[in-house]
Amino acid sequence: MNVLQEQTIPLYGRIVEKYSKLSTTAASQQARQSAFHRFQLLGFPTIKNEDWKYTNITRFLKDEYALEAPSAGAPAELSELLAKAAIPDLDCYGIVLVNGVWDGKIEGGELPKGIELHRVSDALSQPGDLFTNDNWGNLHFAALNAALYTDGLFIRVAANIVIEKPLHIVHVYTSDYNLMVQPRHLWIVDRNAQLSVIESTVSGLSGEVKIWVNNLTEIIVHNDAKLDHVNLQTAATGTRLVQQTIVHQKKQSLYNSYTFTLPGADLVRNDLQARLEEDHTETHLYGLYLTAGDQLVDNHTLVDHQKPHCFSNELYKGVLLERSTGVFNGKVYVHKDAQKTNAFQQNNNLVIGKKATIDSKPELEIFADDVKCSHGSTVGQFSEDALFYLRARGIGEATAKALLINAFAFDVTEKIKFPAVETYINQQISHHIPVNHAG
Amino acid sequence: MANENEILDNIANKEYEFGFVTDIEMDILPAGLNEDTIRYISEKKKEPAWLLEWRLKGFQAFRKQKLPEWQNFTLPSIDFQKISYYAAPRSKKKYNSLDEVDPELLATFEKLGIPLSEQKALAGVAVDAVFDSISVATTYKEKLKELGIIFCSFGEAVQEHPEIVQKYVGSVVPHSDNIFAALNAAVFSDGSFVYIPKGVRCPMELSTYFRINTENTGQFERTLIIADEGSYVSYLEGCTAPMRDENQLHAAVVELIALGNAEIKYSTVQNWYPGDKDGKGGIYNFVTKRGICKGANAKISWTQVETGSAITWKYPSVILQGDNSTGEFYSVAVTRNKQIADTGTKMHHIGRNTRSRIISKGISAGQGQNSYRGLVQIGAKADEARNFTQCDSLLIGDQCGAHTFPYIESKNNTATVEHEATTSKIGEDQIFYLNQRGIDSEKAIALIINGYAREVLNQLPMEFAVEAQKLLSITLEGSVG
Repeated sequence: MNVLQEQTIPLYGRIVEKYSKLSTTAASQQARQSAFHRFQLLGFPTIKNEDWKYTNITRFLKDEYALEAPSAGAPAELSELLAKAAIPDLDCYGIVLVNGVWDGKIEGGELPKGIELHRVSDALSQPGDLFTNDNWGNLHFAALNAALYTDGLFIRVAANIVIEKPLHIVHVYTSDYNLMVQPRHLWIVDRNAQLSVIESTVSGLSGEVKIWVNNLTEIIVHNDAKLDHVNLQTAATGTRLVQQTIVHQKKQSLYNSYTFTLPGADLVRNDLQARLEEDHTETHLYGLYLTAGDQLVDNHTLVDHQKPHCFSNELYKGVLLERSTGVFNGKVYVHKDAQKTNAFQQNNNLVIGKKATIDSKPELEIFADDVKCSHGSTVGQFSEDALFYLRARGIGEATAKALLINAFAFDVTEKIKFPAVETYINQQISHHIPVNHAG
Repeated sequence: MANENEILDNIANKEYEFGFVTDIEMDILPAGLNEDTIRYISEKKKEPAWLLEWRLKGFQAFRKQKLPEWQNFTLPSIDFQKISYYAAPRSKKKYNSLDEVDPELLATFEKLGIPLSEQKALAGVAVDAVFDSISVATTYKEKLKELGIIFCSFGEAVQEHPEIVQKYVGSVVPHSDNIFAALNAAVFSDGSFVYIPKGVRCPMELSTYFRINTENTGQFERTLIIADEGSYVSYLEGCTAPMRDENQLHAAVVELIALGNAEIKYSTVQNWYPGDKDGKGGIYNFVTKRGICKGANAKISWTQVETGSAITWKYPSVILQGDNSTGEFYSVAVTRNKQIADTGTKMHHIGRNTRSRIISKGISAGQGQNSYRGLVQIGAKADEARNFTQCDSLLIGDQCGAHTFPYIESKNNTATVEHEATTSKIGEDQIFYLNQRGIDSEKAIALIINGYAREVLNQLPMEFAVEAQKLLSITLEGSVG
């Protein structure tokens, strides 16, 4: 047992208890068991774990969390939260998950042929294990999730099917008491199929209530398939969000990820892993984190080049306001076989808050020789020249700074292919840089 | 004699140009490490009580620490009890002139291309030759003395200037810093000591050639350089070591202290025995090097050319405490066969308006693994701090690896940090271009490498730069095709 487990025995004890009470099918039994053993071995991460060096979660783990979500039934503030997550003028299919459970309703018309959506809990009652086996490596929370998950969303797009309208998934987290939830999702885009998913994460918590979301999403993009994945994290204060996304890319597939984290949640930790398991794949990872207050936002990405002729490009930008902390750790791993790899990675940070902190760690591990890999990382402030230019044209300092922040974020926001989402994001950014921040 | 055969074999195979064993009677302590070993070393060197106490503190720290596990290569297990911690040439007296020095020892230096006897004639370079653990000859000492510069072996400094040593030793690299620094603190044998008085500009490059000679003797030197206010010194460190079958541990510590307006330039060419083609033998080079810019406007610059050793593990760092102080790090690291180099720097920005510049060039050939691991840390009070980092890796052959692990930590909203890194294969079109002009591939690669490393080599003092350039070409011989 590590130190942290000793410190947080109530939670740890509850986890063991919950695990022992889980009723589960034989097929998933073994996977759960090995995941649970993995978690027992890893424990909760501390700053002594290299991957959590800059992200100290001890203070968040000190709160007590129940592991059972309140029984179903729409919470009173649901419509308010949905309004917050709504993206104006977006033509999409919309579904809502409350604390990781889908009510089975779909907005925006009937789903076209070739796409199926299920609750993971329904799929679980089927024989055979739904999920692929994974040993979870050093993913502490993924191992915990894989041991304890009870529900989530299963999506499958059949071969050769192109879903034109994006699917907007709104994750609502709400509770009257401190709660830890473990939703687990599996999305499969079959051969030559195409899908766009937009996820919004919102939370409504009253008073001192805390919610810990330990989300695990597995994605398989099959041969020649394509997935656009937008992630909008706008959860409220009191939310601790750990979001793990593991993408398995097959031959000639394309995966685009856009992750936006906005002020609100106390802790956001994103672990995004793109595993390029077959050759000729293409991967784009874009991220923008705008942090404020005492927020701690940590983006960990791994692009795992296992096979030759793959291309990956990564751009993460951060704007750090007030006393917030940003962490970026981007790893590009090129295996011995992965010749002709092209991998690019960039992380730029604009530090505005006087007490703001940024820790950036771009990593390259390369074991093949015929590759082109590069990364860059910068930490800086407003360009004095740019500010002067704007002010010389009669634009006030605060407005000029807000304008520059928007321009800084533009490199990432412009990459989104849905104009309605881009407009929504830009509004959110502007909303969070009120004039008094820029100082 | 086996040794002679070995020498002949070496020459025939030309695997390692500077590999040979000198036959000089050695005074060797039996292998093993405990408090008595430390007391023995301390007594042998007639050290004052405070130093013995400090050594013992280092030993306590060493016992508490574990070998690191964060590296991305397998660290061979090291049996610290199988190493002998003291070896000294059996010298009966101190030498006043070169004539008194053991002729065989002088011949060793000659083979290395450091003809000590000619050094006097060659203006500008004073050599403090460390043969295994004890300094045997120090030249130009008198001349430096006139300026008030102290340049001597560490042991001598302990005897003659204990107050300076006591004040600064362990002030930059504490005795408990890391396991190898702790080991060094406990058992360090000798090393160099430099003190440049206020306002003095050292007129010549100070240089020390270290050599590991005795089988199974780890060398644990300790270097301490203090540049008082407004002074300047350039220090060269170069190394070669004889052929060995068993791995040898080298855990040195270098501490630099630059007071206000002072500047220290520290250059290293490291070419220890890297092991054979299968990675057998070779030196483990685990060095802790750190400097502190204590006063305002101070400057510390590290330049290193790393071509040797089976495993190189070092991060020459600068603590930028004084306002407006500057830290620089220029590095070329070459790995081939099964060599591993894990090197980089740490720049701790504490004072206002401090700046640092990092240029790192890695070259991996054969099955060599090369890592840049660096930290740029901007403290909350380091207003207007500035850093620029560039690390490039060049890959030759499909079995090698190049890795970059930069850490950037900023707690200041007026700081600017830039980091960029690239990794790519050696340019085929560049080789083709040179081939076309009648230059064979081997020479072409040497040319490309020298161009690639130029930014760093330019930082070296002239005579060193020539040597380093030659070394790069020799190291990469036969790695193409």
